[in-house]
Amino acid sequence: MSRLRYAFLAVPLFGLAELAAQIWTSRRAPAFDDWLTVVPAVREIKHVGDLVVIAPGWADPAARRALGDELMPLRDVARPDLTRYAHALELSILGERAAELRPFRELDRREVGPFLLRRLENPAPVRVLYDFTDHVRPPFADARSTEADLPCTWNPHAQIAAGGLGGHPTFPPERFECPGGVFFNVGVTVIADEELRPRRCIWSHPFAKGELVTRFHKVPLGAVIRGHGGLYWLVERERRGAPVTLTVRVDGDTLGSYVHRDGDGWTLFEMPTGAHAGAPEAEVEFAVSTTNYRDRHFCFEADTR
Amino acid sequence: MIPRAPRPLSGRLLDPVIALTLALGYLAALLRSVQTLGYARDEGFYFQASSAYAGWFAQLLASPRAALAPRAVDAAWGVNHEHPGLIKSLFALSNLLLQQKRHLFAMEGTSYRFPAMVLAGVAVAVVYLWGAEARGRVAGLSAALLFAAMPRVFFHAHLACFDVPIVALWTLGAYAYWRALRHGGLLAPLLAGIAFGLALDTKHNSWFLPIACAAHFLALELWAALRRTRLAALLPAPGAPSLARRRSLAALLAMALLGPLVFYALWPWIWHDTLHRLRDYALFHLNHEYYNMELLGKNYWAPPMPRSYAWLMTLATVPGVTLLLFALGLITRARLWLGPLAREVAQPSRPAAPAASPPRMDAEATDLLWLLCVLINYAAWLSPQTPIFGGTKHWMTAYPFLALFAGVGVDAVVRAARRELLRHRRSSPLAGRLGRAPVAVAALVGACVLAAPLAETAHAHPWGLSAYTPLVGGAPGAATLGLNRTFWGYATGSVADWLDREAPRGASVYYHDTAASSWDMLQRDGRLRRDLRGAWSIAGADYGLYHHEKHMLGQEYQSWVAFGTLRPAHIAGLDGVPVIMVYEDPRVTAARPPAR
Repeated sequence: MSRLRYAFLAVPLFGLAELAAQIWTSRRAPAFDDWLTVVPAVREIKHVGDLVVIAPGWADPAARRALGDELMPLRDVARPDLTRYAHALELSILGERAAELRPFRELDRREVGPFLLRRLENPAPVRVLYDFTDHVRPPFADARSTEADLPCTWNPHAQIAAGGLGGHPTFPPERFECPGGVFFNVGVTVIADEELRPRRCIWSHPFAKGELVTRFHKVPLGAVIRGHGGLYWLVERERRGAPVTLTVRVDGDTLGSYVHRDGDGWTLFEMPTGAHAGAPEAEVEFAVSTTNYRDRHFCFEADTR
Repeated sequence: MIPRAPRPLSGRLLDPVIALTLALGYLAALLRSVQTLGYARDEGFYFQASSAYAGWFAQLLASPRAALAPRAVDAAWGVNHEHPGLIKSLFALSNLLLQQKRHLFAMEGTSYRFPAMVLAGVAVAVVYLWGAEARGRVAGLSAALLFAAMPRVFFHAHLACFDVPIVALWTLGAYAYWRALRHGGLLAPLLAGIAFGLALDTKHNSWFLPIACAAHFLALELWAALRRTRLAALLPAPGAPSLARRRSLAALLAMALLGPLVFYALWPWIWHDTLHRLRDYALFHLNHEYYNMELLGKNYWAPPMPRSYAWLMTLATVPGVTLLLFALGLITRARLWLGPLAREVAQPSRPAAPAASPPRMDAEATDLLWLLCVLINYAAWLSPQTPIFGGTKHWMTAYPFLALFAGVGVDAVVRAARRELLRHRRSSPLAGRLGRAPVAVAALVGACVLAAPLAETAHAHPWGLSAYTPLVGGAPGAATLGLNRTFWGYATGSVADWLDREAPRGASVYYHDTAASSWDMLQRDGRLRRDLRGAWSIAGADYGLYHHEKHMLGQEYQSWVAFGTLRPAHIAGLDGVPVIMVYEDPRVTAARPPAR
């Protein structure tokens, strides 16, 4: 009982401890401008082709503001996955680690104020021969509708279209414009996947009938054509839409089809190139179709490797 | 009934004076800080509704017959009729009378917000009065300050919305019900009925008030029944149970009769086609759309909703010491109620205390009423079907009662401290002197327990919805845990200065989650240049705002593609956690003259 007599002191002490904790927690993360101080170190450690990953993820905008598009380009930030990167540079604060980089091996580390930089090595990187998303423009690609065998016209200065609050992803100024309205175009955009992560991909809203075919010329082939497909998650999560089929053809031969169903999320597909493997120049077609084209915000990325 | 000694006039006046001081102090703090807080999405809708109602009020004065015609009533009151009209009427009248006629506020938006701020002060005052009357001034004052110093309460108290007004009127209704039990007479039941009517005309959380009061009445009945069994010796006896039960019934009757009358009288929308419109109103809220909300990194947008949501968010947003004091207050009171029973369970061989001397409770069973008010206000979130989009504001009606128990906790600590100080008075004269100075001890304890809540509340402003307590690591810890960072698009107010400074003349800004009318109000306030044009889409805009919510990340990606850059031109947020990003079209950047 005598020991408990002073238990009441725990309450005011708790209050003071919370005050100290409040001051500590409010100051422990770097301010937005503090991120500018780490830029020289990032430039020094980062090699060409290294992926920059921020931990924790919520600090990403602050890092992007400091590092800019050169160090954190769209193709890296909205990457399909990690397999193509041989190295990554993890820039972290608050002792956080990027979960996706756990399999990577640490090569180097440096502390700069509140920041920790770690250069990491991918234990099993894969060499990408050709990234289709980088080539969605003439003369590398063309697009057409098979319904009326109408071509989609390349417009390097198209009017940007974006859905606004709750609306569709942005249709970029450089895109193939297809018949049927603004949704029917082929261009590089970014969708939010099932985790709302950014995915850079080729917008391919299918037509009511027929296929939307995007054809790439002089594509160097490896053993497989590998990619991901998905729909803008806020549409896909409703699980009300018809499946979307993506058929891949090489020099007229069908390699296979990938069927995307609502709820699948950002999904991997991989098709062996078979007899075409190693071809230095091939014509590759991605044909997108569906049985009901309502709200089919389909988007895919692919590469050869 | 336990006789109460009459208090001197100075004592009787002191509590109202303290209550008024608290209310005015809170109002002053709100008015002082309101100008840095942007306008929440819903405020924009209520500005529109209030303007429509204001037009009707003007018509009512000029031509009553025309104003009362069903077509005129519907034209004005049909705007935003999914919520009752009282608070929006107050917004309208405040704008008409205090701003348009008297130019009382520096910013027009403040005139709309003013009634809710006044009601926030009322809530603080009622918490004080109730706590002081039921459990003493230390408890009352501590409860009022701990309630006022809840960061989310302080945030919502600024807004031209219904969330703090319903807290005030809910608490006022419960207090009036309690006073009816305590004092009898006509005034308190009348006030209970009127307060319930006002609450009904504020927000649908009011539906829980009679449930809490009826549950309290039933609990009193049950307690009386138990007291008639052999458990009587173990259960504390309320002072005058039968009288309290009769008074409880009278108050409930007053609420049942007056509440609907006041509700009907003050909401012109239901003057015609009443039953149909009431049905629509109820169905709208009973089948409310599920908006998105993030919890622990997962975005919830359809049922089942996480049952832990309300409790986790309370833990993460109410200062830890307040919760500790709530627990202490609850335990302190529970020991009084259940102590004999617990002792009997622990030592059944000991003879029970003689029936003639059971512990005595207040006749109103105040603790039970407070506890029911806490539990009933949280109960809806036990169902996985209940939407969770409102963050903490939807169960904020529980917080005054949580604070009242916390006040009891402070009182218990002060009593224990004084007891120990007096015990040491012989060995330490200072301890003795301090022990005989209850105000000094209370002030010392109060300072220790209030420092953190006050610091957290002050620091949270104007990022109230991004603020989290140290228990989860503050804003950075919450961001790492994946707790919602903001909603309602009010953070535009925090980048207005930057836009004013950086945007070229006539630039267009995609304002994302901010309502157009909220954007307009920033301009009418003079907080945002009038030449800046709000845009509904990033397409064609010069700037794109992005208020971070997990499910809205696609909006940020829209800016990336539209502008061809991932680099925000400006970020604002709390403690290094980005809340709102501003993207700038690189062509605008390139056209800007270089900084000298």
